[in-house]
Amino acid sequence: MEHILELQQVSKAFPTSGFTLDRVSFSLPYGAIMGFVGENGAGKTTTIGCILGTIAKDSGSIKVFGKEMLDTDTDLREKIGVVYDGDNFPPYLTAQQLSQVMAGLYTQWDHALFQQYLSDFRLPANQKIKSYSRGMTMKLAISVALSHHPQLLILDEATGGLDPIMRDEILDVFLTFVQEEDHAILLSSHITSDLEKIADYITFIHNGKLILTASRNELVYHYAVLRCRESQFLALEPDDILAYRKRDFQIDVLVADGKKAQKKYKDIVIDHVSLDEIMLLLVKGERI
Amino acid sequence: MKGLLKNNFYAARSNGAIFAVVMLLLGLFVIAMDNDIQTLLDGYMLLSMTGFSIQAITSLRKESAGKWNKYKLTVPVKRSDIVKSYFISQLVWLFVGILFAGAAVSLSILLHGYPFDRNTDILMLFIVGISISLFMGAVFFPLFYLGGEERNEAFLVISLLCGIGIVAVLATAVNMLFGPHMTTLQVIAGGAIILISALLAFLLSYPLTVGIFQKKEF
Repeated sequence: MEHILELQQVSKAFPTSGFTLDRVSFSLPYGAIMGFVGENGAGKTTTIGCILGTIAKDSGSIKVFGKEMLDTDTDLREKIGVVYDGDNFPPYLTAQQLSQVMAGLYTQWDHALFQQYLSDFRLPANQKIKSYSRGMTMKLAISVALSHHPQLLILDEATGGLDPIMRDEILDVFLTFVQEEDHAILLSSHITSDLEKIADYITFIHNGKLILTASRNELVYHYAVLRCRESQFLALEPDDILAYRKRDFQIDVLVADGKKAQKKYKDIVIDHVSLDEIMLLLVKGERI
Repeated sequence: MKGLLKNNFYAARSNGAIFAVVMLLLGLFVIAMDNDIQTLLDGYMLLSMTGFSIQAITSLRKESAGKWNKYKLTVPVKRSDIVKSYFISQLVWLFVGILFAGAAVSLSILLHGYPFDRNTDILMLFIVGISISLFMGAVFFPLFYLGGEERNEAFLVISLLCGIGIVAVLATAVNMLFGPHMTTLQVIAGGAIILISALLAFLLSYPLTVGIFQKKEF
């Protein structure tokens, strides 16, 4: 399978804060959406910074469109659309002026498409960006990211700050974007319900380390949580336990194969597991 | 690159327009003063050249709000082009300042006659104004990327003082070199030394700033 984005053993240390991104590896195939999940400070933005070259990695390799992207590779950056959380653009510009600025940066800038997005998202073209609400600035950033016909979208918390209705509209836009088989999206988000709706792959990161990367179908249909009493927990085979978390009267145990566990542990209640619960168990739970 | 220059223009436009109006009114006042107070015209010329150059520098502060500086690194431009756009913008604003100074001195001569003692005085005023601006830019841009956006104002003051100081030192050196009674040719040669030094400092500051910016992480 060909990959639009490949990270191999990427590391980055920040001596001042003590944070380390530790040998992160994952691949994003063409035509897919990857959800990049982790709590605040887990290393999502650092990873995205390494991919985009805003942060210099210490070691490892990152290939975008099969190539290590250097500062001079402007042709590769033509094909990438980026949305950061918060204010992406100078506050003194209007959307109209921003379009003129972007037309001078991207050879494929599509002014008509940008105008269409402004109209679809009900964004005033001649109002200064500083007077936009947070949701409006996010919609503007998504419009810009899509208006130069990119192949790869890298979105860092791009749906944060949007109301559920607008989030749904944006998710539809993302789904339409990946209909083209040479397109792909890397979407970091706290809102795991969004990822459950659209992501093909989910990658979990915690404390700078990748803790799980799997297809959404595998997570939704195969992964499960066992609701055990202490005695039942003690009878489990350690190899079956991915992570566990003690609660008041039960222990929740994350397993990779729910059907197998159901056959093996007949007296234990087994539930489907949401991405939220997987994240909680992987981040807050303990490992054997 | 064109997009970066457009953005730099939008960033400096509102402050630049206010400054232009103030300089226009001040220019009218200076011209109306006849040739009685020559230092007014001297001051106006220097102020317009350095003042407009400062517009390019102050606009950097405006850009620092939000994630634009980080976002810019993801668009198809090289880091060296980002730095180059600031250097070009400063030259453009300096040119605007030269136009204002030129217009004021031309009108003053047209209406009241030549106000200076020597023919070379106007040339020297332009050289001093341009050189202060160039030295100021040469000092400011590397400091800006080295020290961070939040120290913009302090670096602006430091670089302006450096610009004035370096030109003063060079002028003193030229005076010592040629003595107190300089010929016209010596005055022009002295001016050339100051201007070439400023141009060299400005040009050398560019690769230095690029080198610092290449290591900067966002």
